[in-house]
Parts: sequence; structure tokens; C-alpha cells
Amino acid sequence: MARFLARSVISTIVTMILVSAALFFMIEVGSGDITVKILGIESTPEQRASYRAQLGLDAPAWRRYIDWAVGSDWRAEREVGYDLVTVPNPQNDEPEWWAEVDGELVRWELDGGELYALVRQEDGSSVSEPAGDVWQVDPETGNEFFWGVSRNNSAVKWARGEGAEVWVRTTAGFRREGDGPQQYIPLRKGLLRGDAGESLQFGRPVSSILWPRVRNTAVLAGVAFIVVMPLALVLGVLAGINEGKFIDRLISITSLGATATPEFVTGIFLIITLGIWLRQVWPESPFKAVAIFTSADAIFQDPTLLALPVLTLTAVELGYIARMTRASMVEVMSTAYIRTAIIKGMPYRRVVMRHAIRNALMAPITIIMLHVNWLVGGVVVVEVIFGFPGLGSYIYNAAIFGDFNAVEAAAMITVGLAVSTRLLGDLAYTFLNPRIRYA
Amino acid sequence: MAVAQPTQKAERPSRWQKIWQSISIIFESRVATIGLLMVSFWVLLGFLSLFWTPYEPNSSDFIQNLPPNSVNWLGTDHLGRDILSRLMQGTQVILLKTRLPGDGDVAIPGGVAIWGVLGSLLLGSVLGLNAGYRGGWWDQIIMQVLDALIAFPVIVLYLVVIAALGQGDLVVILAITITGAPGVARLVRSLALDIKTRDYIRAAETRGESVWFIMFREILPNARGPILVDAMLRVGYAIFAIGTLGFLGLGLPPPDPDWGNMVNEARKSIFSNQWAVLWPALAIASLVVGLNLFADGLREELTRYQK
Repeated sequence: MARFLARSVISTIVTMILVSAALFFMIEVGSGDITVKILGIESTPEQRASYRAQLGLDAPAWRRYIDWAVGSDWRAEREVGYDLVTVPNPQNDEPEWWAEVDGELVRWELDGGELYALVRQEDGSSVSEPAGDVWQVDPETGNEFFWGVSRNNSAVKWARGEGAEVWVRTTAGFRREGDGPQQYIPLRKGLLRGDAGESLQFGRPVSSILWPRVRNTAVLAGVAFIVVMPLALVLGVLAGINEGKFIDRLISITSLGATATPEFVTGIFLIITLGIWLRQVWPESPFKAVAIFTSADAIFQDPTLLALPVLTLTAVELGYIARMTRASMVEVMSTAYIRTAIIKGMPYRRVVMRHAIRNALMAPITIIMLHVNWLVGGVVVVEVIFGFPGLGSYIYNAAIFGDFNAVEAAAMITVGLAVSTRLLGDLAYTFLNPRIRYA
Repeated sequence: MAVAQPTQKAERPSRWQKIWQSISIIFESRVATIGLLMVSFWVLLGFLSLFWTPYEPNSSDFIQNLPPNSVNWLGTDHLGRDILSRLMQGTQVILLKTRLPGDGDVAIPGGVAIWGVLGSLLLGSVLGLNAGYRGGWWDQIIMQVLDALIAFPVIVLYLVVIAALGQGDLVVILAITITGAPGVARLVRSLALDIKTRDYIRAAETRGESVWFIMFREILPNARGPILVDAMLRVGYAIFAIGTLGFLGLGLPPPDPDWGNMVNEARKSIFSNQWAVLWPALAIASLVVGLNLFADGLREELTRYQK
């Protein structure tokens, strides 16, 4: 048993590592030049190249993969020579990177060829003072350089006397700076430490956008699950004990139809029938064809926004679970112990309720655990149909834009969910069914 | 004294009779027959559209958003195109032809769904046979990689592949291949594990046949029943996926109409014209349901005598 557990856990970890590498390099190969999308097609090749460097995209792929997974701060610390720490910005609570120099938090800024140290005050603002003579001399070229932390949360190598030019992106456009930053290491803690980097689309940390989305999706999927499960199990059991009769045919064919119909078709049908036609006869119906989500918390202010998405998800999942329950029920009802119970004169109701159901429900419940990523697929499409601000539509939008930090983080969440529920399902199954061999 | 009877020369069934025999199992099952009818309806419409459609599918000849009428049987869409013609031609890219990239209209027979499923069958059987027949480290490594692939929600995998490689018929085929292969491989592996214990495999090994000969000439043909039924279901999934991708705006590129994309575009004028959304949605649903019914009925019929 212990060996089986260890094997499952190790295999899960290996799976996660493989998936993360596959995901990273797949996006790596194909994502093209993201800077064109951010800067627009009017930008010049020099501006793009400079911005690529600022995003750290000039580093080799394997290095960025390690940065992405476990963080770049340890690498930057070796260059800078001080401890690098994150402090929440008091205005928006998003983390900022600072170097800890003699008990004070410092960042640096190059202005007009002079280096200034920005010392962080208690209230989050900073006081600028001349940095003094911190320049180091490159023994080979004789040029002066300095590694520090910039205001853009990067470790930056500033150089003096080389005449190199960079294009710095500001809120007003691009500014050319001479004699400035030469090399960038964007600071991040890495996915394993809960930092997914910055969204290229929005310029904010991915995690600060992602969590409200995950919460919304959890609400959507959770409500749908609460509606689906009892309904599907009852229908499945009903069909299973009436195998071959009219009610079984009805339930089986309806659920086959519901499973085989793509999610977006179901969603469209429901929008047309409930959202448009029903509203013409009953204007106050809770099913809204047009749902406008004014904020990330919209579903908590107006729960009727959930009605159609939940119903669509229910229709999609109902058939699948009902079919599985039916198959399992049919199998149980044909076993010898059920026949025995019937022959010994037990009331049919009691046979079904006490003996059959408990065994019949085990299989569908574990199988559902193993199919979480199938459910996630449904969630993505439903969220896109209704413009629901959840994880699925986030992945979709990020993938369309090519915002790889966001896609990778969001996809890893779904993969993590799928893998961990599968592990749980495996374990649950072995506990519930002791006859399984731990081979 | 018993005289040896001349052995009756058994009438060997001809090739056509054999084929008919294996096909006729479809008609034993009512469910499979209905499924087959639904699928053949669309296949026939598709073939018809190769030579004739009521109107030019891509030209805006009519008033926009007409409901069904005697001129346009299914109405017109938001650009004034005849929906029936577009629906008919929409079958082509799914079932009948794959457009190759490059200039000109170079297309090969067999639709995107068909090639995608063939691709996943090929990749899946190579992986599954190697894992099942060779066992040991081959099995461990192949199954570990497949586990990683299965861990991706399919739609996320599609999004990543298409975001990485861009749009196109071949990319969609590749996406279907990659997402389908793990399932095929698992099925083939379990069949191979069963079949490799049989005597005729021992015999082949004793004859000194190569590993690849045993895998592809001895094991694979004997596992074809379940694989074929699974493939039938997979064509359904593939059409499902193509529709979903089209709906998300990531599917088969224009100019050929794509059902999913038709739904997506017509959705923008859903308040003024529900028909334009309804028809392609019904088309996808009926084709996928047909394939599912067909595969389900076939499987029931095939496993009936195995219990």
C-alpha cells in the first residue's frame, strides 16, 4: 500500500514537471514576437529589440524556464550583491522588489548620467539621494558598470561610457536613453513560490488578476455540480433499474444527445429559447441572454447572472454522468447478490435502496474525479459564450493575445487540478475497493 | 463396410459476401442504423455540394438575415449568404477534403476530422503497441508521457497548439492527433497486453519474427474491432472539437464555410435572426449525435456475444 502511494505521488510529480516543460516550450516555439503585439506594428525594430531585452526575452529558453519555475531573484542576487526582497506597494498591494542595503530598502535610477539611490520610506514613497561612488570597473574593457534594482522590478546592469542606447517604455511612449541600462533580469519568484510573473497584456501581476477569476469559476462549477449530481444520479439509477423499458430509452437517448451536443450549441439553444423567446412572454425571467459583468464580483451582486451559464453546464454534464450511473446500475442489478436478495423475498424498493445503489454509485463518483479536465473543457467554452469573468475565458483571451505568462499560469492551475483529483480518485478507489492489487 | 464419404467441398463465401456479412451487423441494431442514416445524410449532402449547391456559398446575393422562405430554404445570414448552400459546403472541410497550405486550391481527399483521427490512430497504436508488447521501461516511459498529455484539459491543449502554430487545416489535424493519441494508445496497450499472451504470438516469436512484424501484423489486426469502434467515436469527438474551435474563432480558415464559425458569426445578430444560429448548430449536433449512435449501437452489437 505504502509503495503504491509513493508510486502515485512520484508519478504525479513527474507528470507535473513534464507538463510544465511541455507547456513552456510549446508556447516558446510558437508565440512569435510578443513585443509587436504590445508595442503595436508602428514600433521600430530597435524599440522592439530593446523591449525584448527589458522583458528578459533575450535570455536562452532553458534559463527562462528555470526563472519561470523557481524564480530569478537568486540569480540576480549574485549580480547585485544585496538581498532582494518584495514589499507590497501600499497603493495597489502588488509586490515590488527592493534591495536591502544596511537595513534600508533601496532601488536605483539613472538620470542624466548620474546614479541616484531611491530609499524607501515607511509610507511606501522613496527619497532620492546621490548614490555616491558605487561603480565597478570591468577589468577587460575598462568601462564602469553597476548592478542594481530598477523601478520596473528588474535587476539592471547600468553602464557608463559605452554610448549604448536603449528605448525605455514610459506611459507617454518611448524615450531614448543613452548610457544606460544594458542587461535586464526581470525579478520574479517563480511559479513554485506562487509568483506567475507579470501579465504582458495588462502589465499587472498575473496572480492578482487570476485569483478572482479562479474564484468565479469555482462558484460557477460548484453551483453546476450541486445541481447536476443529484439530478444525474437519480436519472441514471431510474434508467438503470428500468433497463430496456420506455423510461430507460427516454433517459438514455436524451442524455446521449446532451453529451454529444457541443457545449456551445447547447449554450446557443438555451440563449435562444430561454434568453430570447421566453423573455418575450415573461419579461422578468431570470434568464438573461445578455449578461454584462461589470466587475469581477458581479456574480455576487447579481446571482441571476449565473442562471444561464449554470444551466448550460448542467445540460452538458448531466448526460455524461447519468449515462455512467446507468451503466453501473445495470451491472450491479445483474449480479448474484441482488438476485439473491430479490429471491429471498426482500421488497424491491429495499433491494434497490439498501443494496444496489451504494455499490452502483461508487464507479460514477470515482470516474467523475478522473474526468475533471473534461469538465474544465466545458467550463472554458461556457465562459466564452457568456463572457463570464472566470479562469476559462482568461485562458482563452490570454492565448489569443499570446500572453504566455498568463496562459502558462492558468493552464498549470487546470493541470494541477486535473492531476491532483486524479491522484485523489486513484486513492479513493483503492480505499473503496480493497480488491485492487497494488502492482 | 464404411466407405469414406467424399468430403463435401465447402462453399467458401466470396469476398463480397464476407464484407456484407461484417457490414450487416450494423443493421442488426436499430440504434446503429439510425446513426448511420444521420451520418450518411450529411456525407451525401457533402458529395452533392462538390458539384452543386443551390447558390454560390460565399457570395452575398440576398437581403441579410432572412427567415426561411421559398427562395432560401433555410434563410440567409448576416451577410446575405444562402445558409443551405453554406451548410452543404461546410461538410466538405470536415469530412471530404483537406486544404493544403500554399497558393492555389490544392486539396487532398478526406476531411480534417478523418485525417485527424487517422493521425491519432497511427500515433496512438505505435505508442500503445510499444508500451504493451515490449513492457518494462518502454511501458513506463511511454505511459508517463501520455499521462502528462492526458493531464491537459483538451481545450487548453488545442488553444496552446493553435496559439503556437497558427490557424490552418493541417494545424487542426495536428491538434486532433495530439489530443486523440493518448486515448488510442491506452486502448491499444490494454489490447496488446491481452493479445501478447496468446499462443500465436509465442509461435511468431519462436519463428524469429521481428518485433515490429509481431506488433503490426500479429497484434494489431487482432485488435481491430474495439479500435474501429473507438475510431468511430473519435470522429465524433473530432467534429465536436472542430466545431468548438470554429466557434472560438480558432478553427478552419476561410474561405470555406465552417459550421462552428457560422454559429459564432451569426451569434452577433442573434436577437434579430435566430435561424442563422440554429441551423449550423443543429447540423453539428446531428452529425455528432449520429456518429455516437452509430458507434454505440455497433459496440453493443459486437460485445453482445462476448458476455
